[in-house]
Amino acid sequence: METSEYLRVFMDECREHLQTLNSSLLALENDPQNKEILNAIFRSAHTIKGAAATMGFNKMADVTHNMEDVLGLLRRGDVEVTPEIINLLFDAVDLLEILAGGIPEGREADIETAGIVQRLKKYSTREELTPSTRDRRRTLELRYLKEEQEQLKKLLTGEKKLYHLHVILREECLLKGARAFMILREVEAAGTIVKTIPSTKELEDERFRYDFIIGLITDEPLEKVVDIIRRVTDVKDVRGEEVAPDKLPEERRGSGETYCFAVQKEKEDEPSAPVATAQTGLTVRVDIRKLDDLMNLVAELVINRGRLQKISAELQHEELEESVEHLNRLLLELQDDVLKTRMVAVEHVFSRFPRLVRDLAHRAGKQVDLHITGIETELDRTVIDEIGDPLIHIIRNSVDHRIEPPEERVAAGKPATGQLSVSAHQAGNQVVITVADDGRGIDSKKIADTALAKGYITPEQLAEMTEEEIINLVFLPGFSTSEEVTDVSGRGVGMDVVRERITALGGQVLLSSVPGEGTTVMIQLPLTLAIIQTLMVQVGSEIYAIPTTLVDQTISVARKDIKILRRQEVTMLRGEVLPLVRLQDVLGVKDARNPEYEELDVVVVRHGERRVGCVVDSLLRPQDVVIKSLGSYLGNIPGIAGATILGDGRVALILDLRTVAVA
Amino acid sequence: MREKEEVREELIQLVLFKLGEEEFGVNILQAREIEKLDQGLTRVPKAPSFVEGVINLRGEIIPIVDLRKRFGLTLPPLGYDSRVIIVEVDGALVGMLVDAVEEVIRIPASAVEPPPPITKGVDSQYVSGVAKVGDRLIVLLNLERALSPEESKELAEADLSE
Repeated sequence: METSEYLRVFMDECREHLQTLNSSLLALENDPQNKEILNAIFRSAHTIKGAAATMGFNKMADVTHNMEDVLGLLRRGDVEVTPEIINLLFDAVDLLEILAGGIPEGREADIETAGIVQRLKKYSTREELTPSTRDRRRTLELRYLKEEQEQLKKLLTGEKKLYHLHVILREECLLKGARAFMILREVEAAGTIVKTIPSTKELEDERFRYDFIIGLITDEPLEKVVDIIRRVTDVKDVRGEEVAPDKLPEERRGSGETYCFAVQKEKEDEPSAPVATAQTGLTVRVDIRKLDDLMNLVAELVINRGRLQKISAELQHEELEESVEHLNRLLLELQDDVLKTRMVAVEHVFSRFPRLVRDLAHRAGKQVDLHITGIETELDRTVIDEIGDPLIHIIRNSVDHRIEPPEERVAAGKPATGQLSVSAHQAGNQVVITVADDGRGIDSKKIADTALAKGYITPEQLAEMTEEEIINLVFLPGFSTSEEVTDVSGRGVGMDVVRERITALGGQVLLSSVPGEGTTVMIQLPLTLAIIQTLMVQVGSEIYAIPTTLVDQTISVARKDIKILRRQEVTMLRGEVLPLVRLQDVLGVKDARNPEYEELDVVVVRHGERRVGCVVDSLLRPQDVVIKSLGSYLGNIPGIAGATILGDGRVALILDLRTVAVA
Repeated sequence: MREKEEVREELIQLVLFKLGEEEFGVNILQAREIEKLDQGLTRVPKAPSFVEGVINLRGEIIPIVDLRKRFGLTLPPLGYDSRVIIVEVDGALVGMLVDAVEEVIRIPASAVEPPPPITKGVDSQYVSGVAKVGDRLIVLLNLERALSPEESKELAEADLSE
């Protein structure tokens, strides 16, 4: 890698972590006690520090280093999270952003950092200067949660007693983590350790000052246990006391006064990389364009393989055929692997939802619990980039329109808090995303009335429609119920836009609802946009690919079964009138042969509620194709979704027949 | 030595090609490559009429523009010498169909003069200048204009209204 490459990677990483810092600080402002958020802030600052130092960006490294010191104090609870500190941290992040701004030119922006650094230092050194804060914090107390108390009482039978052993190590003790571990091991031999403060994990990780308390259940006398501990090197003092089962100190969950039981999960003082690898495995950042290039190369290889196969078949050379076959298998694997590298977890999109739902619920005066599952489900990068907005729209609809205000819910005999779930899972080569709420549901009668009033359907059509079909009318262009129009966020964009976006991705969206019980929106998406399933058809001398997501079925129609209805060719398909479109008329193909045929091959295309039969010369084959853009020069041509390269190197266009269907 | 450097600074390199019998030039910095049109073109329905179709250039889809149609020149069908010059315009690759590619020449920038209103039947809006090289008159194309998709749209609409 060239230096500029490193720079770009660093920039990417930096940008991401600065963003995390900003959003996490915002979150911390609202939830100052939340250690998870503090940890996230700490990790981001730490990562930037490490990366900046490696790249020789000393100012950034210095600022983050000092941020880290302050954050460390906050994490240990030595200093309280105050608006003043949050503002200071925001200032530091702003400074980092300015510094990072100069990096594309290879150096940090020229700006004075001493001011911020000094302000940060004031906090980190203040701790040393005011031992009173420390002393208050150092009063360790071992307390128990309600559940823990219950369990303890069960354990304390017969001769067994509960001791609290306050162990104090010498300040000069070097490997205090190891010491603590030794002490725990010795004590464990004498009984059962029920709880320690700080937690055993923190003790082993050396995340404690010089003392800790062990809660031990044993039938040994107290003196003996104290003696065991005293024998360990570097122990300065041990104070033991017996605690009566009915006088267990109670821990109130979330109280800031005592150490919480095992609040910190991540190690803090080691480089962050090992932590990350433990969770996500080794990763490398790659520019998405490089992956696209790789995809193109693989596609080219596939095409060349086709040529080779043809040649080897002609030559009938056994060894050549074998090696071409081998090449074939390798290529399939390669294609598969390259596709996989473009996959991204839906977490990238879903992570925005908690904040979104909270804000929406707050604004609408509603109470909503959000449950998210399946965040690890992967989708192609291109799909991920596109599904965010439609999902946000669906969620917004749920919170704004479907989940009732608390009073209304209670009146209806439901819990005041509404439930909203967003889940994702893979099913075959599709990913299904479901957004479900337990709100008031959709009033199909209202939908039907609106559809009739706006002339979307006739009363006769309505009579034959199922409940679900009626509900799905909301996806029709321009459709929105009066209820939605009066609401603030429901105005303008309707569900038709959602459907538009999803189908543009080759997906489908379905709505189902039980009045009074809730609504479920199910979205099916292809795993990748790069490869789609198509049906290859021929019209005249031209070959076109029709995405199978749009294909309802293929039928054969005899010429005598074609009638003319209002100057439109139609045929009957299972009792329904199916309009027919000669594809050559739509595409301007001059040498089409189907007008001469007695039996016509027809591809029935379905778009929403409409079906149209597209007459072609012949159906060739189903084929998975790598979809390519026609490029910015041609831009969007109505009716053309893209192009693909056939085995012989020629280009075939991928049709978007939705425009035909609505025409 | 000094003189040589001065001269070099003022030189521009042109790819010369023919539409019919007329000579045109594009700056070599804009030309990516020159291809023989040995694969079939795929016609694109509803594309502007001067877009002959698209080809596959090592995995990329490239639109091919017939400059002769673009300029409204009536000329014999493409022949053996026909080539596609792939150029980059506004970040997009476009292939220009020409009757022949002749050579690459260097000319002093000072040899380029502003275009007369109509040059060899080509509207001056598509021309950035004319260059006299010996007794040859070379028309330098303004590719941004000559291939501009916006212009293309106007023309496509004009085509439709005909």
